[in-house]
Amino acid sequence: MNEKPAYMNNDIEIAINNVSVVFKDNSGNNVQALDNIDFDIHKGEFISLLGPSGCGKTTLLRTIADLLEPTSGNVRVSGRTPKEIRLMQKFGIVFQSPVLFEWRTIKKNIELPLEIMGYSKKDRSDRADEMLEMVGLTKFANHYPQQLSGGMQQRVGIARAFGIRPEILLMDEPFSALDEFTKEKLHLDLLKIWEKTNKTIVFVTHNIQEAVFLSTRICVLSPHPGRLSAVVDVDLPYPRTIEMRDTPHFGELVSKVRNSFEGGSL
Amino acid sequence: MIKRRKSLWQRLKENSVAQTLSTILLPISFGVLILVFWQTQVLHKIFNTDTNTLPLPSRICRIIIDNHSAILVNALYTIIVAVVGLVIGSIIGYLIAVFAALFQKWGAGGLTIVGAFNAIPIVALAPVMTNWTKDVSNDPNIRSMVAKILVVMIVCIASMSINAFRGLTELKPFTLDLMSSYAASKKTVFLKLRLPNSIPYVFTAFRVSVPISIISAVVSEYFAEYIVGVGREIRENIVLGQYPTAWAYIVVACLIGLLMYGVLVAIESIVLKSRRVK
Amino acid sequence: MMKKLNKIRQSKILVTLVWIAGIIVIWEIFAFIVEATKRTPENILPHIWQIIFSFFDPKPVANGMSCTAVVFVNAGQTLSRAGQGFLIGTLIGFVLAILMKLSRIVEKIAAPYLMLIQLIPILGMAPIILAMTHDIGSSRIIIAAILTFYPVATNTLAGLNSVEKAKYELMYSYSASKSTIYLKMLIPSCIPYFFTGLKIAAPMAITASILVDTLQGDGGLGCMLSQSLKHAMSIYVFWDIVVFSAVIGVLSCSLMGWIENIVSPIKRIERKTKKKGAA
Repeated sequence: MNEKPAYMNNDIEIAINNVSVVFKDNSGNNVQALDNIDFDIHKGEFISLLGPSGCGKTTLLRTIADLLEPTSGNVRVSGRTPKEIRLMQKFGIVFQSPVLFEWRTIKKNIELPLEIMGYSKKDRSDRADEMLEMVGLTKFANHYPQQLSGGMQQRVGIARAFGIRPEILLMDEPFSALDEFTKEKLHLDLLKIWEKTNKTIVFVTHNIQEAVFLSTRICVLSPHPGRLSAVVDVDLPYPRTIEMRDTPHFGELVSKVRNSFEGGSL
Repeated sequence: MIKRRKSLWQRLKENSVAQTLSTILLPISFGVLILVFWQTQVLHKIFNTDTNTLPLPSRICRIIIDNHSAILVNALYTIIVAVVGLVIGSIIGYLIAVFAALFQKWGAGGLTIVGAFNAIPIVALAPVMTNWTKDVSNDPNIRSMVAKILVVMIVCIASMSINAFRGLTELKPFTLDLMSSYAASKKTVFLKLRLPNSIPYVFTAFRVSVPISIISAVVSEYFAEYIVGVGREIRENIVLGQYPTAWAYIVVACLIGLLMYGVLVAIESIVLKSRRVK
Repeated sequence: MMKKLNKIRQSKILVTLVWIAGIIVIWEIFAFIVEATKRTPENILPHIWQIIFSFFDPKPVANGMSCTAVVFVNAGQTLSRAGQGFLIGTLIGFVLAILMKLSRIVEKIAAPYLMLIQLIPILGMAPIILAMTHDIGSSRIIIAAILTFYPVATNTLAGLNSVEKAKYELMYSYSASKSTIYLKMLIPSCIPYFFTGLKIAAPMAITASILVDTLQGDGGLGCMLSQSLKHAMSIYVFWDIVVFSAVIGVLSCSLMGWIENIVSPIKRIERKTKKKGAA
C-alpha cells in the first residue's frame, strides 16, 4: 500500500468533550459512571475502549451512539451532535448479542436497515449479497438465525452494520460471548473489512489482548468513577497476523496497557 | 453548555411519584366514570336497554344489602363447590404430574392427552354428572354438590398437571448433575430438588384455575338437580324476569372471584417470599 | 429390523396411541360395570361402540333426522356464531394490546381491568346478555367474543413486551419511525404469543356458544343437548354432541396451530430442525 492509511491523517471524527454521566441507583444515590472524559477519535481509526466491568466503557459508547445523553459535557461527531448523525443514519452498531430478528432470514436481516432507509428492492438485495460474501455466509443467505452458530450469528450482525455503509461503526463487546477459536477468526475478518472500508471503529472490550491485537489506539478506562487513565498507541503494523500475538513486542504492549490502569494491577 | 429544557410532559414521565399515582388513579377514575354513566343511564342509551334489564348500581347495592342473608347462603355453597373442586382437582393434577415426572417417556405423552382435555368443553359434561351421582346419597343437595364438585375438579386437573409437570422437570441446568454427584437417591432428588422447584409453577396453575373453578361452579349449578348457589340464582331469577336480583348475584359471583384471587395472591406472596430476592 | 422396531417403540405417536387405548379400556370397564348395575346405562356411560353406531344409525330421532343429521345441522348454527364471535374477539384483543403498547395511559387504565375481567363469570352472564339483546345469535357472538378477547389481548401484550431492549436500540440507531418499529419489529415478534392466545381462546369460544344454546329452545348444539337429556329425543344425541364438541374443541386448537405454521416461517424452521435432530 503506497497510500497512507486514513487513520494517520489525524482528522478528528469524534470529539468527546468533558463528558460526565451521573446515574441514580435503585436507592436513589448518585453514581458517577463517567468523570470528565475528554479525548478525540480520528477518522478511520480503530479505537478500543478498554476497562474492567463498571468503568463506564459501554456508557461512553452509548453517549456517542445517542443512546444516552451526558449529564454534562458533549460529544461531537464530524462537528454535529450524535442525534443529528443518528438521524442521518450514519451509525452502524454491533451489540454483545447479535440481536437478529428470528422471523427473518439471514439475508433479510441484513436488508432490514436498508428497508428502513428506503433502498429499492434490488439495491437491498445486491448490497446484502455483497455483505454476505464479505463475511463468508453466502451459502446461508436463506437460513434463519436460530439455524446458525453463535459465531455465524455475530458475523451476520457485523454484516448488517457494514451494510448501511456507516461513517462510524460502534461495537459493544461483540465477541465476548464467543469461544477463543471463533473469536480469533472474527478478529482477522473484522480487520480485513476495516482495512477495506476505512471506517472509524469504536470497539468496547474488557480483553487486553483483543484490544492490542485490533486497535490503532487504546483508551484505558478505570472504574469508580469511570475515568480515562491512559491512551496507548499500538504501533503494530497492518495487516496484522496471528503470529504477531507471539512476538515480544505484543507482550510489551499488553504489559504497558495493563500497567496503565490506575493503581497498577487490578 | 446548553441545557435543554424538558417539557412538563417529559418531566411527568420521569417522575416516579407521578407514575405510581397515575397507575392507581387512572383505572379508578375510569371505573368511576363507567359507574357514573351507568347510574345516569348513559350506558342504557348505548346498549339500548332499560333499567330493568340493566338495573342501576344503586339498586343492585340495595338488593345485596336487603337480601344479604340469602345471598350469603348461596355464595357459601358456590364457594364450597369451587374450593373443594379446586383443591381435589389440583391434588389429582399434581399426583398425575408426579407420575409423569417419574416415568417421563410415558408421562409426557399422557400429558399431551390431558392437554387435549383442555380443549374439550367440559361444561357439557355437567348435565351427565347428575346422572352419574344419582346413587351417591338420598339427599338431593348432597348428590348435587358431589356432581358440581366433580365438574370443577375435572376442569382443574389439566392446568395443574401440565404446569406441575413443567415445574418438576424443567430444572436449572446442572442441578441434576450436582445431585447425582452427591449420589442422591431418586427420592432425595424429588424431595430436595423437584418438589421445591415446582412450587412457583403450582401457583401459575392456580392463577389459571381459580377463575375457571368459579366459572365452572356457576355453570354446573345451572344443570344441578338441587336449586342452590349463585349461578343457579342468576338463572332462576332471569327465568322469573327478576333481572335486578340476577344482577345482584352476578356482582356477588364477581366478588367471590376477587376474594378467591386475593386469597391466592396473599398465600403466594407468603410462600414465595424467600424466592423474591432483589 | 430391530432398529426399526425400536424407533417405533420410542416414537411419540406410539406413546399417545397407548394412552388413548388405555383410556378406551378404562371407559369400557366402567361401561360394563354400569351396564350390569344400572337400569338405564346409556344415560350414565354407554359403550364406545354404541356411540359410534349411533353416528351411523339412519333411524330418525327428531323431526325425521338421524342423530348425525341433528348434530351437524345444529353444529352449523352454533359454530358459525362461535366463529364470528371468535373473529371479533381476536380483532378487539389484538387492537387493545397494540393500543396498550402504544400508550402508557391506555395501558394503565386497561391493565387492572384485563385482570379483573377473567374473574367475572362471563358464562354466568349469558342469560343477562340474552335478555339485553333478545337474540340468541348475537348473544352467542358477544359471549364468544368476550371470552376470546381476554386471552388474545393478554398474550399479545406479553409478546409485545417480550422484545429485548437491544432490538429497540438497534431500531433507534437506524432512527426508524414508530410505525416501522411496530411493523418490522413488534408485530412480527408478538405473533407466536398471539397464536398461544388463539389456541386458548378457540375452544373457549365454542364452549361458550354451546352453553348459550342451552338457554333457549331455538336450536344449536347446546339446545339439542339439553333436550336430549330431558328425553325429548334419543339420549345418544347427547353423547354424540359430547364427542363431537370434544373433537371440534381439539380440532379448533390444532387449526390455530396449522394456521400458525403457515403464517410464521419460524415454526416451519423449528419443525425442520426437529426432524433433523430426530434423524
